[in-house]
Amino acid sequence: MGVLDKLKLDGNVAVITGAGRGLGRAMAAALAEAGADIVATARTESQIEESAGLVRDKGRRCLVVQCDVTDSESVNAMVDASLGEFGRIDILVNNAGGATDGFGNSLEAITDEQWRVGIATNLTGAMYCSRAVIPHMLERGSGKIINVTSGFGLRAGRNNFIYTSAKAGLINFTRSLTMTYAPAIQANLIAPGLFPHGDPAMEEWWKHGKFVPMGRLGADEELGPLCVFLASDLTSYMNGQVIVLDGGGLAGGELPTRFAPVVPLESE
Amino acid sequence: MVVEQFSLAGNAALVIGASNPLGRAAAVALAEAGADVAVATTTRSQQEEVAANSCANEIWALDRKGFAQAIDAADERDVDSLVERAVSEFGCLDILVNAQDLHFAQPALEISLAEWRRVIDANLTGVFLACRAAGREMLKRKTGRIVNISSVLAERGMANGSAYCAAQAGVLNLTRALALEWARSGVTVNSVGAGWIDAGGFLADENMKRQLERYLPYKRLAEPEEISGAVVYLASDAATYLTGQVVWIEGGALSHV
Repeated sequence: MGVLDKLKLDGNVAVITGAGRGLGRAMAAALAEAGADIVATARTESQIEESAGLVRDKGRRCLVVQCDVTDSESVNAMVDASLGEFGRIDILVNNAGGATDGFGNSLEAITDEQWRVGIATNLTGAMYCSRAVIPHMLERGSGKIINVTSGFGLRAGRNNFIYTSAKAGLINFTRSLTMTYAPAIQANLIAPGLFPHGDPAMEEWWKHGKFVPMGRLGADEELGPLCVFLASDLTSYMNGQVIVLDGGGLAGGELPTRFAPVVPLESE
Repeated sequence: MVVEQFSLAGNAALVIGASNPLGRAAAVALAEAGADVAVATTTRSQQEEVAANSCANEIWALDRKGFAQAIDAADERDVDSLVERAVSEFGCLDILVNAQDLHFAQPALEISLAEWRRVIDANLTGVFLACRAAGREMLKRKTGRIVNISSVLAERGMANGSAYCAAQAGVLNLTRALALEWARSGVTVNSVGAGWIDAGGFLADENMKRQLERYLPYKRLAEPEEISGAVVYLASDAATYLTGQVVWIEGGALSHV
């Protein structure tokens, strides 16, 4: 079998949380293009329908399930519904997450509730989903879990306590999945750099990526092939790893300071 | 189609160190993905020349173009003329894979300066020379993909492995520095961090191999073909925003420590 054939996901079922927009939508579309049927979940049902349309346009089936990943009952019901519809889950993409209330607060200004919600959204949700899906994967003897962390899971940020803690926690949670369930289950992570999801305000805030080594921000579609790569047989021996997709940001470490150390990059 | 983004049809590739199992698997995977592939050795040993020729045969059997050349990968004239030949035969060079590999294990107190230099030259300086020669071509065209194969011994130490470990770690940070230098020139530079494979060398000792297999989460070593898929990914249009990174395929070995 040729190396490109190993990328095909025909017959696979992928559950994607946070599939209503941005990276989640791009990953759902890419996995569907590679042949997988999709369970698209998000808190806001209206947004998921558009993602489901993309999947169905590619000739794949899509089940839409409203789900709050911070509520374990909601997660368990989503997994039951997925298994009821498709009878199997091959791929779980824990993508739900993001900045929550209190992001950027100084330590003294973080309330108990802000901390709880931030950790629940960016760390506990992935645990709930993994916990619900893994028994099924073990029963079938195989499964792929892809967790979406962040560059902030690997480096710190001033007044960035909640998000960095949760995303770093997700990395070591994933490595422990590897130590516990390999080789039946593969658990890897994607760490996206700066992706504005087409939002002009975010593009402006990040200065259109001028300080990123590649000189630009990421486009959501660029994450799709990585997700397919990690879900495919090309990476059967990869486990417990973080793949950083950030235009070179972490290689030099200039992102936090917004200038390149020692040698200025091409000025614009 | 997302799968087509991984295709390398129409690309010209050069794999140095295709005389060892990881380099061979990378060269064959690139050819399977559609690239024409030239291959070269790490040293001018007869055994490596035979292995490189056999790899070129596999590439031809896939109906791809290519050639095999025996070189000393630490000799700048050899490396420069190899890259010139690849550019002249293919018309350009899109992909460079550095898979040079010279195993060496000795207690530090017994390593002569000449031995140290030989190991660093083959495993690290050779990678720099190849990146420099290929980089000249790639920067001219403002496009190119470089993939440097390194090892778990770049990230973890090993007793009696000082020279090899230092060289492998050097490859990782050479990768990051070049990635930044060439980030705005259309050239990405990444590394594939390979797990333990059964390639003789450090694992020629059966007892050590069995101990290692017990320690690995997969309870087995990797097949070279399980690692080469990452080379195809990094060399393709599927990885447009990825540079200066190591993609590890190591069966969870690094999650231990």
